[in-house]
Amino acid sequence: MKKFRFYIDFEKEEKWLNQMLIQGWELCKKSYGYKFYKIAPNNTIIKIDYRTFKNNRDFEDYLALFRDSGWEHISGSKYSGTQYFKRVNENGDTDIFSDTPSKAARYKRLSNMWLTTAISYFPIFIALILTKAINITAFLNPRELYYTPGLWERTGVYFWKAFLFETPFAVMRGGVWLFLPVLMVLYLAFAIKAEKHYRKTNVE
Amino acid sequence: MKRDKNLPLTETVYYILLALLQPAHGYLIMQKVEELSNGEVRMAAGTLYGAIENLLKLRFIQPVQSDDSRRKIYVISDEGKKVLHHDFERMKYMIEVTKNVLRQE
Repeated sequence: MKKFRFYIDFEKEEKWLNQMLIQGWELCKKSYGYKFYKIAPNNTIIKIDYRTFKNNRDFEDYLALFRDSGWEHISGSKYSGTQYFKRVNENGDTDIFSDTPSKAARYKRLSNMWLTTAISYFPIFIALILTKAINITAFLNPRELYYTPGLWERTGVYFWKAFLFETPFAVMRGGVWLFLPVLMVLYLAFAIKAEKHYRKTNVE
Repeated sequence: MKRDKNLPLTETVYYILLALLQPAHGYLIMQKVEELSNGEVRMAAGTLYGAIENLLKLRFIQPVQSDDSRRKIYVISDEGKKVLHHDFERMKYMIEVTKNVLRQE
């Protein structure tokens, strides 16, 4: 079974995944969506960490530490950030964090990732404006989205026909140009939300 | 004398440094810390990994060559030994002064 969800709040995500477990659906892979397979209902625990790694050696060392202490790695790669673990040792720990600062720190790492992503789009956006691939003034003056020469001097049916004909193209043009700025704002919002979770968790 | 800004060490950091006077990999550190603290300090995997990363950044510990292809092995550095010693002296003084005050009561 596949499900699509999006979480910033790790605690909510963990709660949902553990509820799925109780219903007999265990997470087997997370990429664009969550892939589950049917199991006998049980109450093992799934926990989420957020980390990226510079090389395979560091990633292996990280996984070995978790494996040694009773956590099976379910999903995640060197660069994926979110790392999903399942508790396999009944005598082991019930959480992957034993203090509040480390529990909060995963939100800080998540926030930094979104912030870096948002900022890294900025030079691309500027470059597209400078090379005139994106006409930024069109957002203030939508008439510039229309390319038909002399369109705005025309009147009557002659105008409306040309105007309506070009409108779908103008909307698409605007949509494509808006894509990057909208994405940047969205990523920035995710970064702020993760930062809020970081602060909230840290004072608890 | 200007005091080291890393002092006082947290209980977990102190025990990790103490454990790493002998080279050890992650899980071994976890076990040693529990043993040294008489079962009082139990660190979970995610917390320990973050602590190791932080101590590496501070250069209090360093990785050493290991035969284990998966587990990295760490050991305390000279800088780490110095800070551990300073914290030890700090606590020794606290104990002495407390004893003296209590005796006078």
